[in-house]
Amino acid sequence: MSFTGPLSIITLVPLLSGLILLVLPNVLPSDISMRMKASVRNVAIGLSSAIFLLTTLIFVGTIGQIDWLSIGMGDYVLETEDPVWLIESIGVTWHLGTDALSFPMIWLTTLLIPISMLVQWDAEDGHSFHSLLLIMEGALIGVFVSLDLFVFYIFWELTLVPMFFLIMIWGGEDRKYASMKFFIYTFTASVLMLVGILVMYFNTVADPNYAGTLTGHHFNLVLMTEQSRVDGLINSEGLRHFVWLLLLIGFATKMPSVPVHTWLPDAHVQAPTAGSMLLAGVMLKMGAYGFLRIAVAMFPESTLTFVPLLVFLGMASLVYGAVVCLGQTNLKRMVAYSSVSHMGLIFLGIATMQPLGFAGALFMMFAHGIISPLLFAVAGSFKHHYHTLEIGSMRGIAHHSPFLAGHMMLGWMGSLGLPLLAGFVAEVAIMIAFWMTFGWWVLLPALTLIFTALYYLTSMQKMIFESDDPHIGKLPDTMHDEEPRDVTWHENAGMFVLGVLTILFGILPFIFWDMMSVWSTEFIQTYLVHAMNMLEASP
Amino acid sequence: MILSSSEAAAMAPEMAIMAGILFAILVPNLGDAKARIPLTSFKFPILWGGTRFEITSDPRAPGIISTVSLAVACILSLYAIESSDGKTISGVMEITGFGRFMSMVFTAALAITAAASIYRIPSTKITVDDAKDADERTTLSLMDNRRQVDLHILLMMVALGMSLMALSTNLFFLIVCLELASMASYVLVGFHKESRIGGEAGVKYFIVGSIASATGIYGMSLLYLWAGSLDFAGLSASWAAMDTLDPLAGIGVGLMLVAFGFKVSAAPFHLAAPDAYSGTNAPIAGMLATASKAMGFVAMMRVLVGFAAPNEAVTAWAPALGVLAIITMTWGNLAALSSENPKRMLAYSSVAHAGYMLAALAALGSGLADSNTQDLLQMAIVFHLSVLVLFKMGAFLVLTLLEIEGTGKSISDMNGLARRDPIVASSMFVFMLSLAGIPPLSGFLSKFLMINGLVTTTTDTGAATAANAMSWLQSVDPYFLLALAIVLNSALSLFYYLRIGLLMFFEEPVTDSPLPKAPLLRVAILVSMVLTVLFGLGPASEWLLSLVETAISTF
Repeated sequence: MSFTGPLSIITLVPLLSGLILLVLPNVLPSDISMRMKASVRNVAIGLSSAIFLLTTLIFVGTIGQIDWLSIGMGDYVLETEDPVWLIESIGVTWHLGTDALSFPMIWLTTLLIPISMLVQWDAEDGHSFHSLLLIMEGALIGVFVSLDLFVFYIFWELTLVPMFFLIMIWGGEDRKYASMKFFIYTFTASVLMLVGILVMYFNTVADPNYAGTLTGHHFNLVLMTEQSRVDGLINSEGLRHFVWLLLLIGFATKMPSVPVHTWLPDAHVQAPTAGSMLLAGVMLKMGAYGFLRIAVAMFPESTLTFVPLLVFLGMASLVYGAVVCLGQTNLKRMVAYSSVSHMGLIFLGIATMQPLGFAGALFMMFAHGIISPLLFAVAGSFKHHYHTLEIGSMRGIAHHSPFLAGHMMLGWMGSLGLPLLAGFVAEVAIMIAFWMTFGWWVLLPALTLIFTALYYLTSMQKMIFESDDPHIGKLPDTMHDEEPRDVTWHENAGMFVLGVLTILFGILPFIFWDMMSVWSTEFIQTYLVHAMNMLEASP
Repeated sequence: MILSSSEAAAMAPEMAIMAGILFAILVPNLGDAKARIPLTSFKFPILWGGTRFEITSDPRAPGIISTVSLAVACILSLYAIESSDGKTISGVMEITGFGRFMSMVFTAALAITAAASIYRIPSTKITVDDAKDADERTTLSLMDNRRQVDLHILLMMVALGMSLMALSTNLFFLIVCLELASMASYVLVGFHKESRIGGEAGVKYFIVGSIASATGIYGMSLLYLWAGSLDFAGLSASWAAMDTLDPLAGIGVGLMLVAFGFKVSAAPFHLAAPDAYSGTNAPIAGMLATASKAMGFVAMMRVLVGFAAPNEAVTAWAPALGVLAIITMTWGNLAALSSENPKRMLAYSSVAHAGYMLAALAALGSGLADSNTQDLLQMAIVFHLSVLVLFKMGAFLVLTLLEIEGTGKSISDMNGLARRDPIVASSMFVFMLSLAGIPPLSGFLSKFLMINGLVTTTTDTGAATAANAMSWLQSVDPYFLLALAIVLNSALSLFYYLRIGLLMFFEEPVTDSPLPKAPLLRVAILVSMVLTVLFGLGPASEWLLSLVETAISTF
C-alpha cells in the first residue's frame, strides 16, 4: 500500500481534485469555464460525500477485520507498510496510519466538509469557494493520518492556506485584519513547533528502514515514539522540557488556550459560515491531537512535570472564556469564546492523567466538533436572513423562523452540556476524572459550567422567546422592511444532520467512546505509568 | 593552444557559449556586400558588411542568440555531470562532475538573466516616424543593435568565465577566469548609463571589486612565494606538510578570502553589494545574487577545502570564518529588516544567505566533521547555491516585471500585487517563503541540510550528562552556536519576507493596470516557482540531491 491505500485516497483525492477545480476554470476558454464553474459545487459535494461514505465504510465495513478495541498502543490500522520515500536523503516517508485518537477526527472531517458546503451552498464565486473547501479537507485529513513528522508539519501549514483565503475573500467587514492575525499567530506558533520537531529529529537513532541516507535520522513518528518509550528521545532533561514547551506553544495556539487565543474570536467573527464551522469543528482539534500524539506521547515526564501549567492553562481558558461570553453581544463572538472555554476542558482532561480524563478529552474533541459547527451554522443562517449578529437586536425568532429557533436551541443545549446530548458525556467524564485526581478542586470547573448555562439561557430567552408582541416580536433594524424568513432548505438539511448526530452521540456515545477509552487506558499504561514511576523514584 | 576533438567534446558547454559569442558578433553584421575578383568585373557576395539584412540585423537577435546558447550550454552541462571522467586539459583544467554541475548552475542563472534582459533592456523598434529618413533609421537601428550585442556578449562572457573557473585546477587560472567574469559583470552593473544611479552603482562596484581582486591577487602571489607552485595539487601538498602555520601561507589565504568574500558579499566586504543591486536593473542584480555568489563560493571551496583544509597541525581559518558567518547573517538580516527598497532588501537577504553558507564552510574547517559529514556540508552548500538560482532569481524576475512597468523602487510598489496579478504575486510569495526556509520548499531543504551538518558535527561534543539545556550548551563545541545562529536568524528573517506577502495580499494596489505582458519572463517565473516547490519534496529533490552528491564526490 503506497499511494493507493484508503487513507492515501481520502487525503490526496480531495487535495488534488480541489486544486484542479480551482485552477481549471481560470485557464480554460471562457465558454467552457462558465459551464464548468456552474457545476463545480456539484462535483465538490459529490466528491466529499463519496469520501465520507468511504470513510464510514472503512469504519463500519471493516469492523470484522479491524478490531478497533484491540489495537495495541503504537500500532496503527491501515498503516503504510514499506517506506515510500519522499526525500530519502533526510528520511522523509509517506507514512500513514490511524488509530482511535485520529480516526474519529478523520470521520468528523469528512462529515463536516459536505455539510459546510451544503450550508453555504449559494456562496459567491462558489467554484473557488467549494474547491477551497476540498483542499481544506485533504489538508485536514493529512494532519490526522500522517505518521511522519515532516509530512505532518507540511499538512499542518497547508491547512492555513485555504482557511486564510476563505477568511480573506469571503469574510465579513474586518476580514483583512482577522485573516492577517490568524495567519501571523498560527504561523509563528507553528514555526516554533518546527524548531521543536527538528530537535527531536536530530536525536533519533539511525533505523535501517527509515533513516535518511545522508543524515542518518528519520522523521518517523512511530519509531520516535517507540524510541522515547524505551530509551528516552532526548537525554538532557532541560532540553526535553524546552522542546515540550516549544511544542506546547505550537499546539496551544492552535487549540487555542488562553494567553494565545486572541486570534480566534476575530477569525470566527469574520470567517464565512463554512470556514467557521471547519475552524471550530476540526482545526482547533488539531492542536489537541498534536499535543497528545507528539508532546504527551514522546515526553511523558515533561508532561507530568508541567501538569500544574496544564491545569492553569485549562482553568484560565475555561473561566475566562465563560466570563467573556457573558458580556458578548455578538452571536459568533459568543460561540467563539465558548469554544475557548471548551478547549480549556480538554486541557483539564489531559491534566488529570487518568484514562477517564483522557477519554473525556477525546470525546470532547469529537462532541465539540459536532456541536460547534451546528452553532456556527445557526449563527451563519441568522446573519444570512437577519443581516446581523447582535444578540439583543432580535426578539422572538421562534415565531418567525421556527426551524432556525429549533436548531439554535438544540445547539445551545448541547453546548451547555444537557444530559443525553453529546457534550454531556465528555463533560461528565472530565469532571469525574478531575475529581479523582484533584479532589474537591473539581468545584472550580464545575461551577464554571453554571456560567456556561447562564450565558446560553439568557441569550436564548432574549433571542428566541421573549417578545413584546407575540405576533411580531422585534426585528433587527438591519432587516429594514424585509419579511423575516426561515432558513433555506440546504441550511436546514446541514443543521438537521448535525442536530441528529448531537442527539445520537448523546444517547449512544459508545460508538466512539469504547475505542477512545480503550486507547486512553493503553496510552496511560504504555507511556505515562513508566514516567510516573521514574518521577517518583527520583523526587 | 589547440584542443583535440575529445577535449573539445568534453568542453561542449563552453563551446556552446563561445559559439554564442561568435554568432552575436557575426550575425548582426551579415549584409549584401560583394567582393570584386581582381582584374575582372565579376562580383560575388561575401555576406559581410554592406547593407545589413533586415532579419539578421534585427535588434532582438542578440538576445535570442545569447538566451539559446546559454540554455544549450546549461543542458549540455547537465548531461555531462554523470559522464565527466576527470579529463585534464592543458594542465589547468579538469573536467569533473563538480565543475559541470556548477557550470550548469551558472549557465542556468545567466540564461534566465539573458531572457529577462530581453524585456528589461528592450530593443527599441525604430519606426519611420522616429527617424528623418531611411538612412537615419538604419543608423538608429544599428546603434540599438550594437547596444543589444554589447549587453548579451557581456552576459555570455560572464558565463564563460564562471564556467571555466569551476573547472580550474590552478589558482592562477582560477583568478583569471574569475576576473573575466568579474570585469564583464562590472560593466553589466553600470550598463544603464542613462540613469545617474546606474552609473554610480557601476563605478562603486568596480572600484570596490577591483580593490578586492587586487588584494586577492596579492595573496596569491604570497602563496606562490611560499609554495613555489599555484597548482592545487602542489599547494595541497605544501599545506599538508606544514607543522605550524607558515605566516606567508596564512596571510596569503586570508587575503584571498577578502577577494572571495567580496564576491559572496560576506560582511564586512559586502558594503558595495546593496548599492550595486539597487542601482542596477533587476535581472543583473539577480545574476549577482545567484551566479556571482555561487562563483565566489566555488572559489572559496577550492581554496579552503581544496588545499587549505585544516590538518592536525593547522586549524587556522575556521574560527575566523565562523565569527564572520555569524556577523554576516545577523548584519544582513538586521539591515534587510529596515530596507525600503525591494532590491536592497533582497541584497541584504543575499548577504544573510552568504552567512548561512559561510557557517557550513566554517564547520567544514573545524576539524570535527568526519568525512560523511564533510560531504553533507559540502552538499548543503552546493545544493543551496543551485536552488538559490530558482527562488532568489525568481524574486528578482518579479521585480523585473515591476521595473518594466516603471515601479519597483520602493517596497510599497508591491502593494496589492495579489489583486493585480494573482499568479505573479503567489509566485513571489512562494519565493519569499522559500528564502525564509519554510518546509516543504527547496529553501528549507538546503537550510535543513546545513543545520543538520552543523548539528551532526558538534552535538557529540556536548556532555551527555548535562543537567539542563544551559549547561549542555556550555559544554558543547562552540561551532554548535552556528546552527543556533542560523535558526535564530531564520526566525528574524521571517519578518521581512512575510512583510512582502502581507503587502501583496492586504494593501490596496496603487493602480489597477495589469502588469506588463512579457510572456517569456512570466514563463520563467512560473517555472522557477514550480521547481522551487518540486525540489523541496519528492522525487525531483532526490534527483537534484543525487546530482549534487555525484558532483561532490568528484570535487
